[in-house]
Amino acid sequence: MRNLGLLLQRNAFLLTFLLLLGVSFGVLVRHDGSARSSWFRAAGGLAAGVEGQQQQWRDYLELAEKNAALAEQNAQLRSQLLSMEREGSWYLDDGLGWNVTTGMLIKGPDGLARSMALGTPGTDGGLTVGMGVLSNGVAIGTIVDVGERYSRILPMLNTAGTWSCRVGRTGPVVPLQWEGRNADRLTLSDVPRYTRAEVGDTVFTSGFDLLFPDGIPVGTVHSSHQSGGSDFKSVSVVPLVDITSVRHLEYIRNRSDSERAVLSQPLPEP
Amino acid sequence: MTLARLALMVVLQAILLESVAPFGEWTRPQWALWALFMVPPQAGAFTKLGAGFLMGLGLDLMMGTYGHHMVAGTVLGGALPGLHRILAPRDGYEVTQKPTLRDLGFQWVLVLSLLGAAVFHLALMLVDTWHAHLMPGALLPALTSAVWTACCCLLLHLLIVPPGRKTNG
Repeated sequence: MRNLGLLLQRNAFLLTFLLLLGVSFGVLVRHDGSARSSWFRAAGGLAAGVEGQQQQWRDYLELAEKNAALAEQNAQLRSQLLSMEREGSWYLDDGLGWNVTTGMLIKGPDGLARSMALGTPGTDGGLTVGMGVLSNGVAIGTIVDVGERYSRILPMLNTAGTWSCRVGRTGPVVPLQWEGRNADRLTLSDVPRYTRAEVGDTVFTSGFDLLFPDGIPVGTVHSSHQSGGSDFKSVSVVPLVDITSVRHLEYIRNRSDSERAVLSQPLPEP
Repeated sequence: MTLARLALMVVLQAILLESVAPFGEWTRPQWALWALFMVPPQAGAFTKLGAGFLMGLGLDLMMGTYGHHMVAGTVLGGALPGLHRILAPRDGYEVTQKPTLRDLGFQWVLVLSLLGAAVFHLALMLVDTWHAHLMPGALLPALTSAVWTACCCLLLHLLIVPPGRKTNG
């Protein structure tokens, strides 16, 4: 306290000078509009600068927390994206050259080994034999017969059907069949044992059967089984939709279907 | 005596002498500075500071320029002890010496008047223009006005306390 007193005493003239100058400036700013506006602008700019600096420091100090929150959000988004990819949905891309016609399933497969499904429309809706049938973007069968107003559908829940698929988008092409026992299980057979088929992996159409474009989701891997010493394994697949109870259908056909059919025939014997 | 002289010069400048400006803004005289320059150099620093502040306050009250002359007067009052110290004779000021032509000489009075007027006019220029972009244009008139003010102060010295006449203030 004494030192403070000595300090004040030593600088009394300077302090008095500053005090009187402050009083003078106070009077000036109070009565001079130009000075007042400049003062407020300068003071406002200074306050904004200080506030901005403080905000920068706050941001810097909270960087780790924000980074952690963003990392968590990123993980959630990745998880959602992965789930969406697994659930799968195929949307029409005109660039791929496929036409889509919509219809309804009026009779689903009943779970018997050879049961067929019935849908609308028929030839009146432009349907033809060999069109792929989707429900909610998931492959479920193909048209095998067409009437005037109805179409007969060979569903995947039929032991007579074989569908060209692959595990993941780049796995080897293997046949998918229904073994006729459980409506919730399809089976990929003759899967090379080196193929990675983890539980939850999505099974897609390969497009090699010319019924569907490649990349249409069918189901997800439930389990895989490999017989001892075999180079192949079978993979159990859970369909992405309940084929017995779907209602809305999409029929797809390639615009160059006839050309593909001709060109895909074996060469005639010379 | 100092206070009376200050009050008189402030009133005279505000009422009458302010208009003695032959070249307009280039020669704005501050006659009241003469009264401030007449504060004895032996006086305390607080006295000089207070005199400068009061002179500015009086000018502002009389001329309606609130704050402008107060700032300039306070700056000059704060600078005056330094000016006196710089201009002090080698042996310091004698107790009986007055800041007049007879006691301290023409050169001392002239330099003090020029420097003091320059400080006052520059401070006044700063608070008058206030904006930085206007100051270059106001600098030269402020300096010429300082010279004119110094001339006016010298004139007052010659008229009121000429070199050959003994001062009693």
